[in-house]
Amino acid sequence: MSDPSHGNLEKYLYPKSNYKWEDAPDPAKFSECVHCGMCLEACPTYQQTGLEAHSPRGRVYLIKSVAEGKLTLNDFFADPVNTCLDCRACETACPAGVQVGALVEEARGQLYKEDPPAGLRGVLHKIFLRGLFPYASRMRKLSLLTRWYQRSGVRFIARKTGLLRILPKHLQEMEQALPNLTTKPVLGRIHERLAPFGLKRAKVAMLTGCVMDAVFADINEATVNVLRHNGCEVWIPPSQSCCGALHVHAGDRDTAKQLAKQNIDTFLSDDIDAIIINAAGCGSTLKEYGELLKSDPEYADKAHLFAEKTVDVSSFLDRLGLIPPKGRLELTVTYHDACHLAHAQGIRVEPRRLLEAVPGVQLVPLPDSDRCCGSAGIYNLTHPEMAGELLDRKMNDIPDGCDAVVMGNPGCMMQFMVGVVRHNRNEQIMHTIQLLDLAYRGEETSTEAERAEHSKASRSQAS
Amino acid sequence: MGMDSQTKALIVGRLEQMVGPRAVLHRYEDLVAYECDGYTIHKGVPSIVVFPKSTQEVSDVVRLLHQNRIPYLPRGAGTGLSGGATALNGEVVISLVRMNKLLDVDYANRKAVVQPGFVNLKLSNSIASKGYYYAPDPSSQAACTIGGNVAENAGGAHCLKYGVTTNHVIGLELVLPDGEIVRIGGVPDAPGYDLLGFLTGSEGTMGIVTEITVRILRKPQGVLTVLALYDEVNDASQAVSDIISAGIVPAALEMMDRTAIEAVESGNYPVGYPSDLGAVLIVEVDGIAAGLQEQIERVMEVCRKHRVREVRQSRDPQERTRWWANRKTAFGAMGTISPDYMVQDGVIPRSKLPEVLARIGEVSSKYGLRIANVFHAGDGNLHPLILYNSMEDGEKERAVRAGSEVLKVCADVGGSITGEHGVGIEKMEDMRFIFTEEEMNAQMQVRDVFNPDNLCNPGKVFPKPARCVELKRSAPLIHSS
Repeated sequence: MSDPSHGNLEKYLYPKSNYKWEDAPDPAKFSECVHCGMCLEACPTYQQTGLEAHSPRGRVYLIKSVAEGKLTLNDFFADPVNTCLDCRACETACPAGVQVGALVEEARGQLYKEDPPAGLRGVLHKIFLRGLFPYASRMRKLSLLTRWYQRSGVRFIARKTGLLRILPKHLQEMEQALPNLTTKPVLGRIHERLAPFGLKRAKVAMLTGCVMDAVFADINEATVNVLRHNGCEVWIPPSQSCCGALHVHAGDRDTAKQLAKQNIDTFLSDDIDAIIINAAGCGSTLKEYGELLKSDPEYADKAHLFAEKTVDVSSFLDRLGLIPPKGRLELTVTYHDACHLAHAQGIRVEPRRLLEAVPGVQLVPLPDSDRCCGSAGIYNLTHPEMAGELLDRKMNDIPDGCDAVVMGNPGCMMQFMVGVVRHNRNEQIMHTIQLLDLAYRGEETSTEAERAEHSKASRSQAS
Repeated sequence: MGMDSQTKALIVGRLEQMVGPRAVLHRYEDLVAYECDGYTIHKGVPSIVVFPKSTQEVSDVVRLLHQNRIPYLPRGAGTGLSGGATALNGEVVISLVRMNKLLDVDYANRKAVVQPGFVNLKLSNSIASKGYYYAPDPSSQAACTIGGNVAENAGGAHCLKYGVTTNHVIGLELVLPDGEIVRIGGVPDAPGYDLLGFLTGSEGTMGIVTEITVRILRKPQGVLTVLALYDEVNDASQAVSDIISAGIVPAALEMMDRTAIEAVESGNYPVGYPSDLGAVLIVEVDGIAAGLQEQIERVMEVCRKHRVREVRQSRDPQERTRWWANRKTAFGAMGTISPDYMVQDGVIPRSKLPEVLARIGEVSSKYGLRIANVFHAGDGNLHPLILYNSMEDGEKERAVRAGSEVLKVCADVGGSITGEHGVGIEKMEDMRFIFTEEEMNAQMQVRDVFNPDNLCNPGKVFPKPARCVELKRSAPLIHSS
């Protein structure tokens, strides 16, 4: 049981508070909100419903109302707190920079303790958050099992016999949209330490992520490849764990803290220039370890150090100075701003600069590119209706004539893949790094071709 | 207060039949978020919040409430700063946020028709690609609704040259307080009395606006902006006066003092102002590109005559956008330096600016409360922001008294108590600084023509006859929860 004596300030200022557990929503954070309402139109759920309680200002107000004793930790409070996408668009809009995301996460922590998730959410929670994500080995097995499902003919049978129809519609679509897992997870498979191609410019460690490595292991491979092309020695520590993002979002702060500590111990055990992450959602959580572990005397400082070293791969390459790929890609692409890159980490121009550095790539703007696509961790599983509405808006925004929609987060990618299926579209859904990787690989082949051309020419000259 | 539970259940049932169960809120937990708007000193939980989607639904809802003698009020985004959308006595809130469509744009005749819940900035964004925009630009324009703008006769930084909301409204559809739907205006300069002018700024006490026809303007060919940084706020004030008397009509002429600068610089959109600055001016000119540079140079020249520390022109549109984002988020940014604030909205003759500022400084020391000043300096519209902490005993009450005293200063120098935020709850008692009892009665009689039973946003704008200034001073105590 947690020690309720934590969060003393909150109890001192708000004697009637109905928060009972440690890490209660921080009065220093909610008192910064002066109720101006500038956040309203930035919030996707407010845009859809027009409900004050489903707006950032409303949520902060309700969170404060529980501290004031006006509301209790019941379902009516849980609803607005849980419908938040945690997309942080409000934090960009807020004049005072109120940390709405952290407040919502703290409120969810209280709700989680008060009334652990039951029903569908409870089941999802047990399976995914407690049983699966924390264990790299289980994630690997799931990934391999999915590969088997896709390749063995079981998928074919499941689809043909209509067995999948027992699933809700959004899960059917997800099954359909799931990419073919051609690459096995990289964690524990590829070499732990990889030398740079050419001159060494930096020594980095890479967090491979859970969903990323299970579903998009090819992106992890691409990331390693692009980093090596840019002079990085890459270390993939085998004892790393899930970042804990989904746990923080769901209010399971205890599990999140355990995972954070494991990562801190692992990554700080060697002297590295940066901890590289290619998933926006993980990145923002890693950067907020300091906040998560603020009341842990042993880990608070280490968590800050860890957070300082953490950097999204796009901003790392941009800062380091990208060695531009020479391979040409004749592609028209548009870029979607993952919430946890744009709003949570302020990364907007860096990925675009990288894309524009690829010869032949035409980058066209996506209207409202930083509006949430509805993926939001496991939000699309727990709130399929709202997630679906947001996805539909997003798909309608994609400009005509795009070959690919590029982004920097696996959750968004899966959501967009569902969108492509649902709307019968043809766009490729790609990670920024995949596009760069293609260009570097093109460079390899083009240099080979050049070489072949060259030797052919010299041969003919000689003859 | 409000209705008894039996009546409420009955009304909720009827409303749900009219607009659907998902458009009616009635449980306490769902209503708490509606207990105030952008003005947080007085609060009141509404008994019901209802979300009509069409004029007909508004009319049905209003008719039902009127028949049952239940008071109600309209609400837009709830960004108002005088408490106009607060259900002080448990009124039913009619929220217009789901009536948020742009109905028509007529470029040839330069007008647009919007529903009341349509967000101000969205109008400009929707017509920008054709080279048009909607001129009134309240600082909250990214969130506030045009319906709310009409209710409050909202202004904004660029109203100095282009006028406030009332100068841009050319037609209204209105649901009268008994549910009848009427249309007013529609053509510029309609014959007969200027009812549009009368309704615009009536703060939701004459009925509920359900459709608005507004003027749209061609975007100016060129825009030039300068920042002038001053060590002394008095020098900045003098420069403001001189710019106007030099015959220049800037599109905007804004000023922030040291405390305001401290807040915006700790906020989300810092410009990088030095921390020891006394005041900053933002001056913008727009219009036909030819001659614009000449105008801005004259502005800079005037600025230099008054011991300016630095004056510089924006290098590119991005820099100009950053300056404006900083200025337009000034109120919200107060959260970084104070847990609560109360914003005043006084208007004064420009020439009195130095004198009034000195007196506001006196009020600040008298009550021991910091006051940050943000002004639409060009038109003499002051926004002193009184900073307080509602958790400290008595601070809220002191803030209310200080605010009232600031408005008294404005009225005494020949100004007014509100420029663009409306009277609402906040300045009801301060109306006495401007009007006699008789003058207010005359105005209430006009209101009674539209709203004879006073069911539509009651208890706002005018002080209650029985109350006096002294009573208001204890009001926060009565209403604090």
